[in-house]
Amino acid sequence: MTPLPGILLNPPDLAQRLAEAEATIEALLSGQIDAVVDSKSHTPVLLAQAQEALRESQKRLRDIIDGLGPSMFVGLMTPAGILLEANRPVLAAAGLQPEDVMGKPFEDTYWWSFSPESRERMRATIERAARGEGSRYDVQVRAAHGELIDVDFSLHPLRDETGAVVFLVPSATIITERKQTENALRESNENFHHLADNITDVFWIRSPDMRDVQYISPAYERIWGRPVNTLYSQPQQWADHIVPEDRARVDAAFATLKGDVPNIDLEYRIARPDGEIRWVRSRGFQVRDAAGTLIRLIGIITDTTEPRSLQAQLMVSDRMASVGTLAAGVAHEINNPLAAVIANLEFVSESLTTMGSQPSATWLLEEVKQPLDEAREGAQRVRLIVRDLKIFSRSPSDDPSDAVDVKAILESSLRMAWNEIRHRAQLVKRYGVVPSVKANEARLGQVFLNLIVNAAQSLPEGRAEHNEICVSTRLEGKRVIVEVSDTGAGIPPEIIGRIFDAFFTTKPVGVGTGLGLAICHRLVTDIGGELTVQSEVGKGTTFRVALPVADEPERKVAQPVEQVPGTGRRGRILVVDDEELVLHSVQRMLFKEHDVVAVSAATEALALCARGEAFDVILCDLMMPDMTGMDFHRWLSGVAPQLASRLIFMTGGAFTAKAQQFLAETPNEHIEKPFHPANLRAIIRRHLR
Amino acid sequence: MKTESSDVGLRLRLYVAGNAPNSQRAIANARVICDEHFNGRHELEIVDMLEQPGRALADGIIVTPTLLKLLPLPVQRVIGNLSDRDQVLLALTGT
Repeated sequence: MTPLPGILLNPPDLAQRLAEAEATIEALLSGQIDAVVDSKSHTPVLLAQAQEALRESQKRLRDIIDGLGPSMFVGLMTPAGILLEANRPVLAAAGLQPEDVMGKPFEDTYWWSFSPESRERMRATIERAARGEGSRYDVQVRAAHGELIDVDFSLHPLRDETGAVVFLVPSATIITERKQTENALRESNENFHHLADNITDVFWIRSPDMRDVQYISPAYERIWGRPVNTLYSQPQQWADHIVPEDRARVDAAFATLKGDVPNIDLEYRIARPDGEIRWVRSRGFQVRDAAGTLIRLIGIITDTTEPRSLQAQLMVSDRMASVGTLAAGVAHEINNPLAAVIANLEFVSESLTTMGSQPSATWLLEEVKQPLDEAREGAQRVRLIVRDLKIFSRSPSDDPSDAVDVKAILESSLRMAWNEIRHRAQLVKRYGVVPSVKANEARLGQVFLNLIVNAAQSLPEGRAEHNEICVSTRLEGKRVIVEVSDTGAGIPPEIIGRIFDAFFTTKPVGVGTGLGLAICHRLVTDIGGELTVQSEVGKGTTFRVALPVADEPERKVAQPVEQVPGTGRRGRILVVDDEELVLHSVQRMLFKEHDVVAVSAATEALALCARGEAFDVILCDLMMPDMTGMDFHRWLSGVAPQLASRLIFMTGGAFTAKAQQFLAETPNEHIEKPFHPANLRAIIRRHLR
Repeated sequence: MKTESSDVGLRLRLYVAGNAPNSQRAIANARVICDEHFNGRHELEIVDMLEQPGRALADGIIVTPTLLKLLPLPVQRVIGNLSDRDQVLLALTGT
């Protein structure tokens, strides 16, 4: 018979002893024994303590494992993937009982039951682990209520001392939150890229030393005309294509941004591969962490080429507006000397009439000389005013920068603005000796005029003796400083930061365009200068223009005045001008030395020439109705080419672009009205040689 | 040591080890079996081997819990916590 576990038969024979031993072992194995009698000392030894200790340590281990909580899974499985152990809270969290998963192939458990793919993947992972190769990856598992959660799963082999894989340890951590954070981060990053990649401005992020490009938006490609990825490999590329004139200025600005200047704002030009020059406005900012350490530099670059050309148009219109507001004053300025001219000439004319036909030499000297001199002086003043006005009729692009005399331009601007100044303030000039500056005469004139008119308009009319406008020049290092100060109301601190902004104005609607100072600022900045303002409410305002000294000395234009009385041969001159007054005056200037034929239309002149009449010189007005001087020249070249080369054009100053181009392309000389008789005669004599 | 006696023939002696869990379980199981199947016609003596090791030695006990059936003869031993009631009854009644 098979002995029943735990049962011995009496009397003890051999078989019974064997059965007793088997029953004892059986009872021991099934944990039903508390104590044994030590065979040597014959004293009882409590097994319970040892068992309890074992149980305790098992329990402690389980507490640790279970203490991992429901968000972390740890288990034990055979190399074949049969799950032996798993921490209970994870099972509970998934609504599972231990018997639902224990002793089953891991890939067949609830966690992977949502898709065949995840089951297959788990099987492959188990097979790899059984071969000794651990795995770790993010994967989705099925949790309570069928919900899928993201876990960071790993499966690692446990080996015995021979190196054979004896167990596999699966573990998993719930990373739903981490995933959400990652997703949020990725979304935010995508949003950033979506935004940054599509803005028309260049947005850039660089290391604090500017060496590395951390991000540059694709607009770089559009503005610089170079691929974005070339900038990552050559971080200095953007600067390499700055036009040489602007490079030093840009380098200096960025040197300060790398240092302790929190932001910069400047404009410069870059050259594209196709040679096109583009203007950009670059703003850079420092980014610091909570501790104040500079961690990166960021910036925005805007293509201002088109806004600039728009602004250039606005500049022209603003200049026209300036001229418009000054027109009244200028008219006044012209009317005064003109009144004197007219009155004096009238007086002479009347005197001549009453004197009859035989005036004495004494009378001529005493009665007529002085009024005539005064008339001429008045006319000269008108001529000066008109010359000043012409500064404002030129387009800025016509005149490149040149070495110009600041004082002469200031004087010219003061004359223009005199009507605004004289009722409001006393004018004080403090001119220091300064070298020429590199600037464009017309532009600089516009700046000065604007500043002077602003100064004047800050003062009330009628208290001229109490107020002062001071214009000064001085040299400071390599810069010429021009200051225009007034003793006006001053600019409140809250708006002083905006006065150079376009369309910012404190004047009533219709009085100012709000562009004056913005344009001044642009003009001064364009030539490498600086326009700044200092103001104290109740005391006055000072605008300070700092201009770079010109490299080359001022170009002196020689006046071709020859006072030697003409003894040259008598020539035959044709004068063509639709303005009768000009026609007659030119005739008078020349008739003593030459034979003069005067006609008031180019068509008439052309008819004469076509008839074969010979002329040594033809003086022809450029701008005439019906047939212009340009048309006349073209026709004459066909009819009488030898005469076409003898044509000298007279110009009134107000050119059309076409006329300008014509004069530049045609070899014929031109003289500007009004002209001094001596100059005209000298030119004619030169042509007769 | 506790003794429960009866005039009728079943005489048992249970060796235990203090309050150890299997010993306590064996005591409880022994009482239930005796009450249910022998209805007071039995005598159950409980001996703590830790207090009376000499008696255990005399009875040839090497592990606890061990239940000795002294009467009716033959003497039988049941080792373990007596949780398998059928086997215990088999040993006690010989049927």
